[in-house]
Amino acid sequence: MSRSSDRDIVLRLDRVVRGPLGPVDLILSAGETAKVIVESRAVAEELFGILAGQLLPASGRIELFGQDPAALSEPARLDLLARVGFVPEDGGLISNLKAWENLILPATYHRGESPAALESRVSALAKRLGVPAASLATLLGKLPDQLTLAERRQVALLRAALMKPSLLVCDFLHAGLDRAAGEALLKAAATVAEPAPAILHLCPDDAVSARITADRSLRLGAEGP
Amino acid sequence: MLAEKIGRVVLEALRDGVGFFALLRQAAGRWRALARWPVRQVFYKQIYFTGIEALGAISVIATLAGIAITTQIVSLAGADKALTSRIMLWTIVRELGPLFAAIVVTARSSSATASELAGMSIRGELDSLRRLGIAPLDYLVVPRVAGITVAIMAVTVYFQFIAIITGFAFTALVYQSSFFTPLADVVSILSLHEVSISLFKGLVFGLVISGISCLYGLRVQHSITAVPRAATGAVMRNLIAVFFLDGVISYVAFF
Repeated sequence: MSRSSDRDIVLRLDRVVRGPLGPVDLILSAGETAKVIVESRAVAEELFGILAGQLLPASGRIELFGQDPAALSEPARLDLLARVGFVPEDGGLISNLKAWENLILPATYHRGESPAALESRVSALAKRLGVPAASLATLLGKLPDQLTLAERRQVALLRAALMKPSLLVCDFLHAGLDRAAGEALLKAAATVAEPAPAILHLCPDDAVSARITADRSLRLGAEGP
Repeated sequence: MLAEKIGRVVLEALRDGVGFFALLRQAAGRWRALARWPVRQVFYKQIYFTGIEALGAISVIATLAGIAITTQIVSLAGADKALTSRIMLWTIVRELGPLFAAIVVTARSSSATASELAGMSIRGELDSLRRLGIAPLDYLVVPRVAGITVAIMAVTVYFQFIAIITGFAFTALVYQSSFFTPLADVVSILSLHEVSISLFKGLVFGLVISGISCLYGLRVQHSITAVPRAATGAVMRNLIAVFFLDGVISYVAFF
């Protein structure tokens, strides 16, 4: 386990409690990977919602890049969230946008990058993450409803990677998929995290989760850690 | 019991009014979001859906309205009369153009916008946008308000043009009168005031229709049954608001 200065800490959860989520303490620094094994979706949803600024903890404190999201104004909170790559369990794609439009949405919105300029970057990124070039064009031309669960998560992962996040939060990335597809996604997530960003896996208690290499591990049940 | 019902309706209308003005004020403060590429794409799509895709329906309605109105006017005032052109101008430019354009857009885009936003809200896509650091107001509301408003103003002018042209063409064919004389009369008596009020109505109707539709779409609870309720609620509120505002603007501008 590495020791880090306060400056390197990207995420700090200090006795965070909400509903079925027991008191959670976690410190995650740049370049580190943490896995939080949860025993129910309800617990994962509470934690994911708190991390995304959608839910407020009943007690305790959360710090993202040294700031409490709940204490920020809406624009400041959105700026903070733009530094995090979220990969929700369902992919979190916008249903009326094709996969390609979903993929480039944050990059074109926040950085003003042109879609034409992003094409080559997406191809290179997809190759790095192990998405076959032949299936990429077909995949990106579809609407989210036409994609499989694995494909939706793949697009969400690509979308997050395109923004070069300082923190990647994956919610049940391999859950509900066959073993090979799940492990491929976990491998891709690890690739996204290179060279420096921190990565936080919320995962179910299963054999695949047990094989995730992490600097910090935490187990949360309905009764807390 | 009746007083309670009336009170509930009034309170609901007040709540809608407060919500509508708050949403519009916030959207107005964020208009610069249109400079962002993805927001502009939503804006263009909205203009396409509300304006260009509605042109077929608008053309048919404008043609039929133009024929019906000129037939009535000619039967009262006779063909080739300056009065015919004047009444045509009053009815089409002042009233029916903005009103019919607003009704067609309400029927098409109001329900579509409200149900689309309601569906997105129920599927958690507003939270998805926030997780990407994108304000739903910037990405969803600003381009829809701007797009629907621009489209209604354009559709209004298009309706007026088609109704007047087809109305006079029909009269010329049926009554063997001149096509160009009444048209020239319309052009000569058409004042800037007339055009400004007509465009102003389009602007107000556009803001009202888009604002109410977004409001109804965004405030649904997490239930699929809320989607059709949001759509029908938005359409009914819009129709009432459009007719009410049309009356108010006409009264202030022309009396």
